[in-house]
Amino acid sequence: MRKRLGIISLFALLFIGFVVVWNYSYEQGLEGPYIPVESNSSRTLIPSESGVFRQSENALDFNQMPIDEAHQRSLETYYDNRAYPGAPPSIPHPVQKERDLGGNVCLQCHQSGGFVQKFDAYAPISPHPEMINCRQCHVTQNTKGLFAETNFTKVSPPEVGVNNALPGSPPMIPHLLSMRESCLSCHVGPSAPKEIRVTHPERINCRQCHVPNTVEHDQIEVFSRNLEESYE
Amino acid sequence: MQTTLTDRRSFLKKMAMASAIAAAASMFPGIMFAAEQEKGIPKNANLDWKKGPCRFCGVGCGVLVGTENGKAVAVKGDPNSPVNKGLCCVKGYHSIMALYGKDRLTHPLVKKNGRYVKTSMDEALDLIASKMKETIAEHGKDAVSIYGSGQWTIPDGYAASKLFKGCIGTNNVEANARLCMASAVTGFLTSFGLDEPMGCYEDIDHADVFVLWGNNMAEMHPVLFSRLLDQRLKRGVKIIDFATRTTRTSTAADKSILFLPQTDLAVANAICYEIIKNGWVNNSFVEKHCSFSKGLTNMGYGLEDNYTFTDKPEKISFEDYKTFLEDYTPEKVSKLSGVSVRDIKYMASYYGDPNKKVMSLWCMGMNQHTRGTWINNLVYNIHLLTGKISQPGNSPFSLTGQPSACGTVREVGTLTHKLPHGVVMNKEHREFAAKIWGVPAENIPSKPTYHTVEMFRALDRGDIRFMWIQVTNPMVTMPKLKRYRDGAKKEGRFIVVSDVYPTPTTDIADVILPSAMWIEREGMYGNSERRTQYFEQMVDPPGEAISDTWQLIEVAKRLGYEKQFPYKEETHIEEIYTEYRKHHDNIKHNMAPLEVLKSQSGAIWPYVDGKSTKWRFNAKYDPACSNGEDFHFYGKPDGKAIIWQRPYEPAAEEPDNEYPYWLNTGRVVEHWHTGSMTRRIPVLHQAMPHAYVELHPDDAERMQIKTGDAVRLTTRRGEITLPASINERGVPAPMQVFVPFFDENILINDITLDSFCPISKEPDYKKCAVRVEKA
Amino acid sequence: MPIKSYLVHPHDGKKEELLQELSTMASCEVVPAQNMEIIALVTETETKQEEEVLKARLESIKSLKLLALVSGFNTPQ
Repeated sequence: MRKRLGIISLFALLFIGFVVVWNYSYEQGLEGPYIPVESNSSRTLIPSESGVFRQSENALDFNQMPIDEAHQRSLETYYDNRAYPGAPPSIPHPVQKERDLGGNVCLQCHQSGGFVQKFDAYAPISPHPEMINCRQCHVTQNTKGLFAETNFTKVSPPEVGVNNALPGSPPMIPHLLSMRESCLSCHVGPSAPKEIRVTHPERINCRQCHVPNTVEHDQIEVFSRNLEESYE
Repeated sequence: MQTTLTDRRSFLKKMAMASAIAAAASMFPGIMFAAEQEKGIPKNANLDWKKGPCRFCGVGCGVLVGTENGKAVAVKGDPNSPVNKGLCCVKGYHSIMALYGKDRLTHPLVKKNGRYVKTSMDEALDLIASKMKETIAEHGKDAVSIYGSGQWTIPDGYAASKLFKGCIGTNNVEANARLCMASAVTGFLTSFGLDEPMGCYEDIDHADVFVLWGNNMAEMHPVLFSRLLDQRLKRGVKIIDFATRTTRTSTAADKSILFLPQTDLAVANAICYEIIKNGWVNNSFVEKHCSFSKGLTNMGYGLEDNYTFTDKPEKISFEDYKTFLEDYTPEKVSKLSGVSVRDIKYMASYYGDPNKKVMSLWCMGMNQHTRGTWINNLVYNIHLLTGKISQPGNSPFSLTGQPSACGTVREVGTLTHKLPHGVVMNKEHREFAAKIWGVPAENIPSKPTYHTVEMFRALDRGDIRFMWIQVTNPMVTMPKLKRYRDGAKKEGRFIVVSDVYPTPTTDIADVILPSAMWIEREGMYGNSERRTQYFEQMVDPPGEAISDTWQLIEVAKRLGYEKQFPYKEETHIEEIYTEYRKHHDNIKHNMAPLEVLKSQSGAIWPYVDGKSTKWRFNAKYDPACSNGEDFHFYGKPDGKAIIWQRPYEPAAEEPDNEYPYWLNTGRVVEHWHTGSMTRRIPVLHQAMPHAYVELHPDDAERMQIKTGDAVRLTTRRGEITLPASINERGVPAPMQVFVPFFDENILINDITLDSFCPISKEPDYKKCAVRVEKA
Repeated sequence: MPIKSYLVHPHDGKKEELLQELSTMASCEVVPAQNMEIIALVTETETKQEEEVLKARLESIKSLKLLALVSGFNTPQ
């Protein structure tokens, strides 16, 4: 009798458990892929400013790098693989793995740079190594030909040496900053185009002196007071 | 073959030189070689370079201004200046462009029937003098007032103080520095009895750890911050950013610690608790050089007119102080402040480590605080308990925001209670000043009148009828601005404004005087590290513009004080400075003679026996120490610095259901104060064209606000609408917003609160409650 | 023909004096730092022996505290 009672209660328990679990999973199923918004955010805050300091721990090393005049890049050809100033450059070399986001494969060379014997060039350093789906924006060039002619005209890139307001004053930043906040990535080291290679990488806080002259989403007019008519 | 060989040789030599310079730069960050400096300056440019201090913030960088054909055309950092060692920030490099805005005020304007009419300078000065006489005759001496600023040169402030306090006989002299460093002053006076930092910028080269208390140095004191970064590359120092908002400084720092507004008071006490609990107290230092006091609590917030408060200090024992600190265990404080127990202990351990030199740096975060005096005291407590003070690298350092907040407002004493040496309440001090000024001692009233907020309240009430405003823009900067703007516009008020550009403040003026600014005149500034710097006139002012000093002298003469203002136009700056030095003629404050200031990039007072005193109160460096010990806090009668028992008290207005967010205001690197100068510099305006409100991304997401969307901010004072900024320059903590105050078209101060620290009377621009909605 | 570059540290306050002395020496080229007590120096001599003589002469200068070699090159005669 005891034994039977035990078995019955065991089954009863199992049944209750089944109902509870089934209900729970049904409720879960109703919610679908919903992710509660109210939960504590674990979002990492990335103010657009933080990139400025990204390469800073290497600043002194950059300073000591020799200038390899035989392999340095120049602005003359810098824009050749960009559709317009600010466009993502296409990949000028064959890629290792075609079925890959890019990520570590690209970053092997493009995170810290360095000389690549195969291409006889220094790898440019990516200013945004945290974005690992490289191939989303950067594509290889597999043909030189065109499907059809285009009327797209390439705007001329910003010039060097004309961006300072006063003789000797620090030049303004003539390009947009988003995804290019890490100044040191492109402006120092052997892969930096020679015209824009900075003389003082150890200064780190670049935007203390260099401010952008292109503020996004803004038509900037000359600042003027809405003078009341009463001023003669 | 010969040519290629020489080519190769000269190339190798160039390489050798380049590698030597590069090696030097990596070993000594910040080093400057001549070749570098000259780069970018056309070879044939025949520029004349003259030295002076930068006109913007309180760091006081040395700049070299290049002039050509009577115009300033270029700026470079002065490599000989020990302040900035050849580096400037973007404002400094473009500072001279502020001279050449198209709408410079060039002629006096007098308001007639609601319109501004051009007049001659003589006529305008006559009108000012007669209006002053009339006001004094009708409403008494205390109905006239002058409101200046920390951008006054030393002679400007001196002439103002002498005219109003000495000659006219009213203590209605105030300056906008009340809004930015009054709490630093009262902090120094209560803890040490003497104003201004004991250390100097050289501390940066010696300290191992930097704790920034609510101080976004990367933007506000960028050149000093670069010195910190240099030291990090060179010596691996630690930078800790202790703040309420994530900024450029936080991203550059080794550690960023966020706390809830106002709870810095509790955290500072918790650090002291930890120091005592872990036995990190420097017992012999505390025994010999410190005493303990407490003051009144529940002081209020000065929100009502004619509010007064006088602290009643009371001596306590070390044991009493320890008992008081029991309420501030890291565990308790963590709950209040949102700072983790670990982070509190982390900071305390650096302060407590006897092998680490610690420099604390702060500016408006601690000063614009309804308990500003207290939080200044509390940070000194940390340094006093550990004996980390007045030595190279061990330095609590209060930074200032204006080029001469220290030099003019604090040292000349252009505040209602101050005299160049001492205070008006002290009979001896009054007699001393009166003797140098050549006036009867009875002229100087013994009672202070109005501090800044109260002065504008008095203008609103009609107790003050005449106000002369020089080099400042209160109609952008006063908290709870609308009340004071409406008050200033009332009938029967006469406002004179001396400025260089039309501003919201010139809009309320009856007379506008065009001023000669910065290098268009001669003068001196005094920076945060007690350094006095001289600049000569380098270019001519436009139109009829004259210096503020000369405006004051001309009016003084018209009021009948020729005897007290006998200065000649060509030499008046030198004469005034020489006279001013007499007030500080003692080893505790001696100012360097003018020849010295002319020959080098400034000098630090006390200037004794031809030497700047870099560390005060330390017998090794400071000849005024006379007790035979290593340290002597001679500002207090017993020679001891005071460790103050100051509790945590809440802010004047905290978020509630109706107004659930904190509102914080401040500056950005591109613009200086109200932007009346920097917005006229194209480079700076293009980089930062208008104000915005920063929101935390979570708050923005919840309200579906994205960057650029219009956002309405509402407080109990009113509402404004402005564009949102999310994840851009800075990121406030959740349920907090930040708005920069430089934009005169988006007057954030219309909705801020005019609560102030009862001891320093400095308003709190960093905290009030606000409602945030998508507009 | 050796070409060498050095960083030269003068004794306290003796930078000007040292600069004077170095710039009078034919085989030396100097660039002083503007804000620190350091001078960058490049020497160019005909032979190794000459180079050694020059180095000895440099080291005997009274206002010179430390001579730190940065880089060295040699070109064929």
